Formats: sequence, C-alpha cells, structure tokens
Amino acid sequence: MKKDINRIKTITDLNNKNEEYKKSGSQNMSEDFSQENQAALSKQPIVHVEDFTMAYTDKPVIWDIDLDIYENSITAIIGPNGAGKSTLIKGILRLLKPVSGRVLIMGKPYKEVYKNIAYIPQSGSVNWNFPTTVLDVVMMGRYTHLGLFKRPGKKEKELAFKALEKMKMVDFSDRQISELSGGQRQRVFLARAIAQDALIYFMDEPLQGVDIKTESIIVETMREFKKEGKTIIVVHHDLSTLEDYFDHVVIINKQLVAAGRTEDVFTKENLDVAYGE
Amino acid sequence: MDLSILKEYSFIVVAAGTVLLAMACGVIGTISILKGQSLIGDAVGHASLPGIILAFMISGQKNSIILMLGAIIAGIIAFLLIQIISDISKIEADTAMAIVLSAMFGLGMVLKSYIQGNAGYQRASQSGLASYIFGQAAYILKDDVTIIFIVSIIAIVLFILFYKEIKVYVFDEAYAGTIGIKKRLVSMLIMIMTMLLIAAGLKMVGAILISSMLINPAVTGLQWSKRYERVLIIATLSGGVSAFAGTFISSAFKGFSTGPSITLVMSAIALLSVLFSPRGIIAMRFWRRKMASEGSMVKR
Repeated sequence: MKKDINRIKTITDLNNKNEEYKKSGSQNMSEDFSQENQAALSKQPIVHVEDFTMAYTDKPVIWDIDLDIYENSITAIIGPNGAGKSTLIKGILRLLKPVSGRVLIMGKPYKEVYKNIAYIPQSGSVNWNFPTTVLDVVMMGRYTHLGLFKRPGKKEKELAFKALEKMKMVDFSDRQISELSGGQRQRVFLARAIAQDALIYFMDEPLQGVDIKTESIIVETMREFKKEGKTIIVVHHDLSTLEDYFDHVVIINKQLVAAGRTEDVFTKENLDVAYGE
Repeated sequence: MDLSILKEYSFIVVAAGTVLLAMACGVIGTISILKGQSLIGDAVGHASLPGIILAFMISGQKNSIILMLGAIIAGIIAFLLIQIISDISKIEADTAMAIVLSAMFGLGMVLKSYIQGNAGYQRASQSGLASYIFGQAAYILKDDVTIIFIVSIIAIVLFILFYKEIKVYVFDEAYAGTIGIKKRLVSMLIMIMTMLLIAAGLKMVGAILISSMLINPAVTGLQWSKRYERVLIIATLSGGVSAFAGTFISSAFKGFSTGPSITLVMSAIALLSVLFSPRGIIAMRFWRRKMASEGSMVKR
C-alpha cells in the first residue's frame, strides 16, 4: 500500500516536472492534456544535439553529429568499436569538452538540468579498490539532492535500500565493493542511478560482460523506467538483442548514420554503412 | 633512555607539531594513494627546496612564513609543470613527476651550495637551511608549531566539509562530474591541502621524507579496514603515534634527525600492517593454502 502511494507520488512528481519543462520549452502546447497530447509529448526530443564534433587529439572522434533523442524512449546507441559511442555520451554529459556544437537537454543546457540526469559509467572506469560498501556507493546517488556540507541520513539510507531491493542486492549491502562480480557491480551502479531518481538515464554499456540474471534485471528496470515516463539512453554492442530491448536506435560511426524508431532504422543498409559491410 | 625528555617544554612543543601534522597527513594521504598518485607528495616535497632557498636569497631572512611561501610557490610551479608536461607531450604523469622532482631538487641543491660562503648572502645565518632537506626538530620554534597547527586544522576542516565530494571524486570521477561536482575545484582543493601540509612540515621532516607522512599512515589505514571512515581513523592514529615515537627517538638519542626517525617508525608500522593485517600477505597465504588443502580433500 505504502509502496503504491509512493509510486503515485513519483508519477505525479514526474508529470509536474514534465509540465514545467513543456511550459519553458515549447509554446505551442495546448492547454488540456488529453491522451493525444501525451502521445505527442513522447515525440518531443528530450536530448537535442547540434553540429557536435569531439576530438581527443588532432583526429575527430565524433564528426558533426545532429541528433534528437525522444522523450520516454529506450534508445540504443550502436556502432562499431571506436565509433565514438561512449565519447558521444560523455560529450552530452559535459564530461568531455566538445570541439564544437551544442547540446540541449529538456530544452536547456546541461548545467541547468543535471539533477534530472543519472549516468551509469562503464564499470572499468571506477576505482573498485576504494574502501567502501555497496550501500555507501548506492547512497552516492542521493548526493546530487543533498547540497553542499549535508550528510546523507536516514531518508537516504531508506531510498538506497529500496534501490538495492529492486536490484536483488540487499544481501550484499554490507559487502566491500571489491568483492563483487562484474554483474553485481553493474547492479550496484544501477541501484545508485535508481536512488538518484532522475528523468533521463544514460548508461554506458551496462550489459557488457554481465551474467544472464543481471541482464534480465537491467532490462526489466529499463522497462520499468519507461513505464514511469523516464527516458533511457544506452550504449549497446549486442545487435542480436537490439530489437527486443530498444524502441529507438542511434547508429553512429564517427558521423551519424541513422537515428529513429528501431523498426525504421535498424536495417541492413544502415548497418552496412556503419559497420562497413 | 631518558624519559624526563617527555616533560621538557621544547619536546612537548615539537611533538605537538609533528603529531598533528602526521595526523592531518594521514587523512589527506589516503586521497593520493586511492587516486593512484602516491608520488605527488614526493614530487612537491622535493620541488619545494629551491623555493625555500630562493625565498631566503630574496628576503635575506629565515622567517618561517616567508620560507613557507617560497615552498608553496615552488610546489605550485612543480605541480603545473607536471601537468603541462604530461598534457602536452606523450610522457606519462609519473615520468613527468620524476623529471620535475629531480630537476627542482637539483636546482635547490645548486642554489644552496651557491649561497654557501657567498659574501652576498651573509646578512642572515644560513645555518638551519639544511634542516629543510632532512628535517631537524631542534630548530623548531613555537611559531613553526603554530603554523603547523593552523595548516593541519585547515586541511582537516576542509576535508570534513567536502568529504562527500572528495569521496565521490576519488571513487568515481566521471560520475562525480555528472552530479554537479566541480572536478577542477575538488582536485584544486586536494592540491592545496597537500601543498599546505608539505610546506608546513618541511622544516621538521625535510623535503626528502615529507612524502612518507602522506603515504605510510594511509597505507597502514588501508590495510586494516575496507571502510573509508575507519581507514581515515586508523591512518590518523598510526600517523600520530609514529610521529610521537619518532620525535621522542630523535630527541632522546644524539644524531637522530626527526624526519628520518618518524619515517622509520611509520614505515615499520606500514610494513607490519602489509604483512599481518587481515588482508595482508600472511593471511592471504594462509587462506590460499587452506583452500587448496580443502580442495584436494574434496577431490579425494
């Protein structure tokens, strides 16, 4: 019962946030929110990328990408190794500086909306020997809501436990993070993102090298996010599961090859262009 | 051994300084170790020597604050040089540190021998400058301890205030960036804390061994616990205890410099921890053997 109330509360919260964003974003939305409008809403780009070029050295990794990612979609970013998939996400999230171009998220620059965004990095990018426990890592998801000098308290702990429950990791809450398997590590990351309670989730290869159980938990969570009105953007490498898991696809190979609904874009022609036959 | 030293005013002053400094270093040192940059303290410590000598040459005084400022400026220059070299060239950061460390320490030694016996720099006695290399508690004044006290408190308070941010930054830098933590600010904060501690501790511990204060207690802490809070407490305690013991040894026995004495005690504790802690070498060996024998029993 309590859970249901919480969920309803989250959904109303989300709707409120959506409305705010619509009001500030586009002017031509009609006043009443009928079913049709809700459907139209889902066609709204929540991430807008324009003339985006990124480079580590003198060679561009991402070249002049224009891209819209739609609200409430589960979007996969695919492409061959070195196509710049992770780099694109890092550029959108301002972790790396682009050479040129701009990004609008929910119609605003990243700085203004970062609290609505959760990022799940590749598990190799983290110092797993750091002396901390699973619960502690998940609580980090609340830091963005805490503000400077504030310590996480009872409420944060509760939210972290709820997230761990969803990931079936409660038994591990006291475990030192270095003692986890690859799949468990990924679930800890996802729990942290859940605790963060964002509107947009960016995941960098969350299904890379995880066990079947973890994969199904992660996919289940993505679907749940979608039901809650959230947007999920995932760097993905396994083309065989693409149609099952994702409703939108972005295909890149340094440049944008194609982007859109999976059934329209996930074609042999496009893949040939991206993966070079 | 003469235990009456313990009651001597000068010993109490010096011990208070080294203990507090070692405790603060224990806390801050965990950051550089967990970030995989243990050498940074070494590089900044060595690089501060020319700053001290130059500050003396320019000011003609051995005022602790002036010399400390020189050390800090040299430390910042070293830090920037390391960054520039590793950013612009293909040289890795640890190699860049080694280059800057040796070059600046070399410069410091050259400057020191240049002013030795040079009539132009006889306004103030140079004796005591050498203590910045190995550290000598005998030259410590109450002012020096006051500086150490202030700097250590600043470092610890900053660490406590920004604990959350520092922790995420060290554990998961990319994620920290996405939740609105200014990475540049945090890394600058860490650098400032490290440099202040090094500059304040130089006179006591010396440019060569100051980094051991940042490394050994932190290593000890990391051996005994897998919780960051506990690691910090253990690092603080082991730093404080070693500093006290080292200071006592250097005061009780003639010819023992303070820096090396403290370093020896710290290193011994760190080494024992690496050997005997629950996750230490010996425990690991034991578990491995136990597992192997149980495994072969199952097979039988």
